[in-house]
Parts: sequence; structure tokens; C-alpha cells
Amino acid sequence: MKTWDWSIVPESSWFNWNLKELWEYRHLLVRLIRRDFLVHHQQTLLGPMWIVYQPIITLITYVFIFEKAVGLSTDGVPSYLFYFSGIIVWNLFSESFIGTAFTFTQNAQLFEKVYFPRMIIPFSVVATHLIRFGIQLILFALLLAFFIFTKDFEVYPVRWLPALLTTLILAPGLGMGLGLIFSLLTAKYRDLVNVIHLGVRLLMFATPVIYPLSIVSSDIQAIVLFNPLTPVFEFFRYAFLGNGMFSYLQLLYSLVSMIVLIVFGSMLFNKFGSKLQDVL
Amino acid sequence: MERAIQVENLSKLYSLGKVGTGSFRQDIKRWWVSQILKKEDPFFTEAKSNQQLSTDFIWALRDVSFDVKQGEVFGIIGRNGAGKSTLLKILSKVISPTEGIIKGRGRINSLLEIGTGFHDELSGRENIYLNGHFLGMTYHEIKRKFDEIVDFSGVERFIDTPVKRYSSGMYVRLAFAVAAHLEPDILIIDEVLAVGDAEFQKKCLGKMHEVSTKQGRTILFVSHNMQAISNLCNRAMFLNRGQVADIGPVEKVVNTYLSGIQKLKASHSWNTKEVAPGNEFIRIKSVELIPHLKNPTDPIDIRTPLTIKFQFWNLKNINLCVGLQVCAQSGECIFDVSSPAYDFSEGVIEGQCEIAGNFLNDGSYYISLIFVKDTSVELFNLEECLSIDVEDFRENINWYGKWPGYVRPKFPFELRQKVT
Repeated sequence: MKTWDWSIVPESSWFNWNLKELWEYRHLLVRLIRRDFLVHHQQTLLGPMWIVYQPIITLITYVFIFEKAVGLSTDGVPSYLFYFSGIIVWNLFSESFIGTAFTFTQNAQLFEKVYFPRMIIPFSVVATHLIRFGIQLILFALLLAFFIFTKDFEVYPVRWLPALLTTLILAPGLGMGLGLIFSLLTAKYRDLVNVIHLGVRLLMFATPVIYPLSIVSSDIQAIVLFNPLTPVFEFFRYAFLGNGMFSYLQLLYSLVSMIVLIVFGSMLFNKFGSKLQDVL
Repeated sequence: MERAIQVENLSKLYSLGKVGTGSFRQDIKRWWVSQILKKEDPFFTEAKSNQQLSTDFIWALRDVSFDVKQGEVFGIIGRNGAGKSTLLKILSKVISPTEGIIKGRGRINSLLEIGTGFHDELSGRENIYLNGHFLGMTYHEIKRKFDEIVDFSGVERFIDTPVKRYSSGMYVRLAFAVAAHLEPDILIIDEVLAVGDAEFQKKCLGKMHEVSTKQGRTILFVSHNMQAISNLCNRAMFLNRGQVADIGPVEKVVNTYLSGIQKLKASHSWNTKEVAPGNEFIRIKSVELIPHLKNPTDPIDIRTPLTIKFQFWNLKNINLCVGLQVCAQSGECIFDVSSPAYDFSEGVIEGQCEIAGNFLNDGSYYISLIFVKDTSVELFNLEECLSIDVEDFRENINWYGKWPGYVRPKFPFELRQKVT
């Protein structure tokens, strides 16, 4: 008698990270990313250009409000470059976080019907936003090129690659790790949806998105530095814009935070994700 | 023969309303006791020992064990809420069991998921891939069968049109076509025969036969339609309130199921006015549903004439008539018939109403009696006092889908070749 191929048991373990199964579903991941792009662009009025318009409109708003009206310092960096770098890195983090945090609420109908490794959804969210970030990065490059050629803006290309890699790993990684934890909470306590949107907005002010870390007074700098996102933004700006306050220790702190969040988040996600359907 | 699935002592406890206990504090306590102190989960044992279960918990399945052999068509029958869908959901890994274990061989797919993940904005082509992947097909598998799927669905011309422009028929056909080309080792079919037109259903049944006989795949077939079950399955299981009521050869199980239905409460009576339902005008003495069957153990089917008999105490001297309402399970009233009105004096009054055979369609119905004064004022409504399950019956019809409509009258219908 042959042995059984599979079995279904009551408990899912904390460490049941079936990576082989995840790999088997890679085509679904690709399709989901494709779906998100196709659907997004067929539905919106402005079509595919929306990925580009959104940060540009935000940029113009920020320049007018924070630079012209409020007179916030940008650390001697051209304000357009300063805000644009903040906006696109922030988008990458916050969209990864929000998308992951609503995994169960947004896919409830799907999860009721079919089985597939639930982790596919957070991965597809992060991948989608990485691609969007890539497109926005081209825009950033154009803007940077404009300043280089017309304003003799000084650049340090040797720093670009490490900064880019750091951002590409840490920003969505932190977003996804945090999102995994919140995905279970939003599924269980539905009123958290509003709290998450509010939280993301508040977190933005605790992150050097619209201001440089250097202008933060030393009493509250500790709070901003406690935020593992801070070195990501500062490093990105240091590399591309020449100004930024960070240390390798801080980057290590961000990396460790990300790993802890992802490991802890995945454990919760795998353990309790399958129990969420037990409500009548 | 080898077994394809083995289910051992499967149980599923649902909590009503919220996941867990509903309160954050209770959740923490529960976690502390069961996970840290390693004692038995207090909520779980409480629910188990206590048969009358607090209203917050419900055993959808209780110690269900069975196995299905390879290449077998296994039927699962039971009334609504018997736990059939819960079982299928556990088998398709959508929910996890509370207790027990299922072991199996090969890929399992279910046709309860047809059209899962279809996105209205995307073209038929995109949706075939998306849906196929959701159902666990690999890229190459879909690519290889793509033309076949399109062909089977019959929507070639619209394959690059967003599915939101499809008619509902086209949509279902495309969804089914993907599912039908899954080639799983174990296929779960849940009432899919209720979709699509007759021609399409024939196609589906053909596919099912082909899958089970030629390809030697295992099929789990869930249906309300006893004729379809009898014709297609070798063995069957009858689930009742989450437990296995009967299991074995299909004829035996179908019989158990049909005779079980007869045990539904078909009569009520009250000995004294004090305990009887009613009010200061009316007290009900008895209500009874009598099916006119050739053989008392036969099920009530669409051909069976029914008589509803009732008696009540009339407590005033008034002008009275009685209305009889038959409602579908959804609560929709199908018809309402009224007795003539007479002046009655105090005392017991009896009445009866006949519902002809070949009138109600198959399904579950509730009967209410309404007592009316002066043909205008409602005195009392004995709501849903009787229920009937009408079984299907068909002769010379090669179609197993749900017959549409609440009524199924046999009106004279002629059809003949015109002589030219």
C-alpha cells in the first residue's frame, strides 16, 4: 500500500512555512501582479499614467505647502528632489503595509472558496508596489538628470547601488512585516480599518519624509530614530542627494527590525490565517 | 482497491458570530490556559461535554469517518445544514477541522469553486489563466489545454472581451470549462448541475462520466437530487446534523434518506384549550398533513396529493373563514387559499384543504393557517405550523438539474408533427 500524499489536520504549526508549495504557486503570483496592473489601468480615467501622476501631484502640493508656505528646510537639497525621493520611498512602504494589512478583509470571498498559500497575496502586493516604485524611480532619475545638467547638481553614483538595494529590501520588508501582523487584527476586529489609515498618516510624520532628520531637535530625535524607517530615508537621500544622517548601526537596526517583524508576522499569519474562516 | 481519501473522526466546531470568544480579554485567557499552561482549551471542552451547546457554538460535523476508493463515484446526501458544505470545505482545505484527520492521494479539486477569482474587467483569456492558477493548475497545464477549454465553453469569439460583457450563460460556461479541464485525481462536485442550460448540463454530465469511467478518477458528488445520485454513484453517505446517518451502497442510503424525511413533524395536537396556541377568539386543537401515498413508506414527491386537516376551538359567536398559506423556504408566499366564511357558534370546528398532486415543485415548504373574522380582520396566524419536503420525480427526462419554479403543474401540453 502506498503512503498518503497529503493529510489535513486540525492544527497549523507556527513554523509551517511551506516554501515548496509557495514555489509551486509562483504562476499565480505572477498572474495576480498582472491582474492588478491590468485592472488598475483599465478602470482609471488616466490609465497607466496614474502611477506617474500621483507622485507628481503630491510633489507639487508638498513643494507649495511645505516649502513655499511653511518654509520647511530641505537640508540644502533642491526641494523637488527632496520631496520626490521622500514620496516615492514612502509610497513603497505605506502601500506595501496597507495592502498586506487588508489581505483577509479584501480577499474574504476568495479565501472562502479556494485554497492556495495565503502568503501569495502579501507577496503579490509587495511585488506590485516594487514595480510601481521602479516606474516612479525612472521619473526620479529624469528629475535628477535635469538638476545635474542644468543646475550642476553634484552626485555620487558609487553610493547609488547600495542605497537602492537597501531601500528595495527594507521599505517593502518593513511594510510587509508590519502588515502581516495587522492583517490578522483587521480580520478579527474590523473597526481597525480606520485605525490603520490614521496610523499610517501619523507614522509619516514620525518619519523623515517631508523633513530632514538634521532639523529635528535633539529632544525628540530619539523618537524619530526609534522608527526603523528613518535610516532608510536618510540613506536614500544621502546616496542620491548628498545629504542625510545615518549610521551603519542604524541600518542594521532597521534590518533586524524587518527580520523580526517578518518572522513574527509570518508565524502569526500561518498559525491563525486558517482559523479566520470559522465564523458563521 | 486502493483508497483515495480516508477521513477519520472528523469534527468541526463553529463559533457563531465572532472568531474566538469575541472578547479580547477572553481570547487572552483562553490562549494562556491552553497554550501556556498546556491544559485543555476551556471553551472547547465546555462545548464538547455540553450537548445543548451554548448558542455560541455549533458542531457542523461530529465524528465523521468514511473512506472513498480510487475511481469511485461517492455520493454525499443530507438536508440543508447537515454539514455537507462544511465537509467539502474541509476537503478543499478552505477551513481546517477542529478534530480528526483526512488523508488522501493526489490532487483534489472542487467544482464548488467555479469562476473563483474571475475578474469582470479582465478578458476571458486572462480569466482562464487566473482561475486556472487559483484552482492549482500549472502554467503549462493551462497553456496545453487552453484551446480545449475555449472550445468546450463555446465563447471563442469573445475570448479577448472583458467578461463583464458576457451573458451570464457564457460566464458560467467559461468558468465551468476551466474547472472541467482540471484533471484532478479527486473531484468534488456540488450541485453544479443546477447551472446552465440543458445542453450544457448534458455536456457536464458527459464530462463527469468520462472522468470517472475512462480516466479512473475519484468523484465526490453532493446533491439534493436523489435521482442524479442514484444514477451516478456507486456508494453514498447520508449526513444528518453533522453525523453519518448511513453509509453504503447507493440504493440503501437513498432509501434511508427518503424514509428519514417522512419522520418530519406532520401533525400537531393539543389536549386542552389552556396549552393550545391561540388567543381569546381561537384555540388550535390539531393540525395534520396527510399525504396520499400508495405505499406509506414512499416519499412525498411532486405527484403526491396532500390533505391538510385541522380542528380548533371557536370561543366566540362570530363570522369566520380560514386561509391557508404555503410558503417556500425563502419565506416567499407561493399561494394563499381561503375557505368560505360562515357564522359559527362556540365549539370545535374542523376543516380540511386539499393540495392536488402534480402541483408543487420539489423543495421544502411551510404551511401557515390564518383565521379571519368577517372576511377582513385577522384574528390569529398559526405560522409555519407544518412543513413538507417534496421530492423530485421524473420520467423519461435525461436532465438532472433543478427544475425551476415553485409550482410544477401538469397542464395539458400537446406537441405533434403537422401533416403537410
